[in-house]
Amino acid sequence: MGTLGRAIYVVGSWIRGAGQAVDRAGCALQGSHLFEEKVSRHRTLMNLFDKDPVVDKDAFVAPGASVIGDVQVGRGSSIWYGCVLRGDVNSISVGSGTNIQDNALVHVAKSNISGNVMPTTIGNNVTVGHGAVLHGCTVEDEAFVGMGATLLDGAYVEKNAMVAAGALVRQNTRIPFGEVWGGNPAKFMRKLTEEEIAFISQSATNYSNLAMVHAAENAKGFEEIELEKSLRKKFARKDEEYDSMIGVVRETPEELTLPDNILPEKAQKSPA
Amino acid sequence: MTSLARLTRKTLTATNYHHLLRRTFATESAAAKTTTASPPITPSPDRVKWDYRGQRQIIPLGQWLPKIAVDAYVAPNVVLAGQVNVLDGSSVWNGAVLRGDLNKITLGFCSNIQEKSVVHAAWSSPTGLPAETMIERFVTVGAYCLLRSCTIEPECIIGQHSILMEGSLVETHSILEAGSVLPPGRRIPTGELWAGNPARFVRKLTHEETLEIPKLAVAINDLSKEYFNEYLPYSTIYLEVEKMMKSHGISI
Repeated sequence: MGTLGRAIYVVGSWIRGAGQAVDRAGCALQGSHLFEEKVSRHRTLMNLFDKDPVVDKDAFVAPGASVIGDVQVGRGSSIWYGCVLRGDVNSISVGSGTNIQDNALVHVAKSNISGNVMPTTIGNNVTVGHGAVLHGCTVEDEAFVGMGATLLDGAYVEKNAMVAAGALVRQNTRIPFGEVWGGNPAKFMRKLTEEEIAFISQSATNYSNLAMVHAAENAKGFEEIELEKSLRKKFARKDEEYDSMIGVVRETPEELTLPDNILPEKAQKSPA
Repeated sequence: MTSLARLTRKTLTATNYHHLLRRTFATESAAAKTTTASPPITPSPDRVKWDYRGQRQIIPLGQWLPKIAVDAYVAPNVVLAGQVNVLDGSSVWNGAVLRGDLNKITLGFCSNIQEKSVVHAAWSSPTGLPAETMIERFVTVGAYCLLRSCTIEPECIIGQHSILMEGSLVETHSILEAGSVLPPGRRIPTGELWAGNPARFVRKLTHEETLEIPKLAVAINDLSKEYFNEYLPYSTIYLEVEKMMKSHGISI
């Protein structure tokens, strides 16, 4: 660093000091109404004494989610934004390839009261929709729990069964293989068709692909984010139609291309 | 007609047969499952348990950068990911998630999405409508709503805890009561009040009520302005981070 650079650096730190002084003066003027912002103290994975969550390295846990206590998350699973998995009084296990979508809540019943031990078990390739509440229940492989559904204690969702959106499944209800239950309280609605069963497993794979993209994005450091911001600005484009009209072919930098499997036209072709 | 009947009968028996077959396999696999465990969990040592940045509000995916208009209020713990457009005067309240990773989400002028709502878009909708989630102007979406690839036309109210599934359409000046569920592809005609799970027609709205709808949206917009003024354009957390890094001896 040259002498000039050093001088500018020193002047810069003076001005910053002055800025901070102005900030403090402003804070003093605001007085008791001041709210000072603090570094986020939110813990994504949190242990309670000896119960610590075990999350596979290929799983995606959104930074805004909270995974607390005795929780096991398997390979390729995804816990989306704002989810809460609270295994404080009993254990929660989430299989592989499962997705638990935004703002869902998974909790467990109090352990060992009247001999009833109710851990929450979620199998492999399960899709749990947005805002679902799973409380001390068991969900088998490749089941589908729709948006905003509520599963109370001891509910049991068998393989390939489906809980429709907004359903409330009462205590100790068993939803048999390949059936759709909906309403409040949940009742049998109809059988699932073959296509729908295929769709459930497809949706789980789609989601695990999508989770990978989100995981990569959320894990980025500050420098990477800034670099991509500048790249995005540089390669900003009008819509495809506009480009074809004026005959421009634009290239997308490597950092900004998403993997193929999340784009709809690519993923639909892929085998289920 | 007869051919149709024959076809349906055929498919019915076929599905039943498949079903039985699957059922036997399922019991077998259920019995087998107790012995075979799922793949072992290998935790990674470099998984972050605490991110000092918290959850980022704006998550770009590839070239898709969520766009927020200058006078829209988006609460600090909202997550906007992918193709999300928040237009002028609209507000997104705490704990909401707008995830436009598969399709576009637009929140129109002066409309609002309240606490803990989730807005998502699917790849395709069962009806001919585009699969993007479109919330037009002066729409009030209540707390804990779940919206997925639906279209809400101007001046509607969606009650709390409502669920709108793929391809549902709410036409202008309609009201959905709290806790209503719209199954895929349901259309709510203009000027009607619907409620229930699944949603059913309750009554027509009176003219006075339809006039009230934009007023509610504007009232919430006014409230959001108060919140908007509370937040400064840049937070001062970086100072604390710098201090923290200095105290731990990490060079900046």
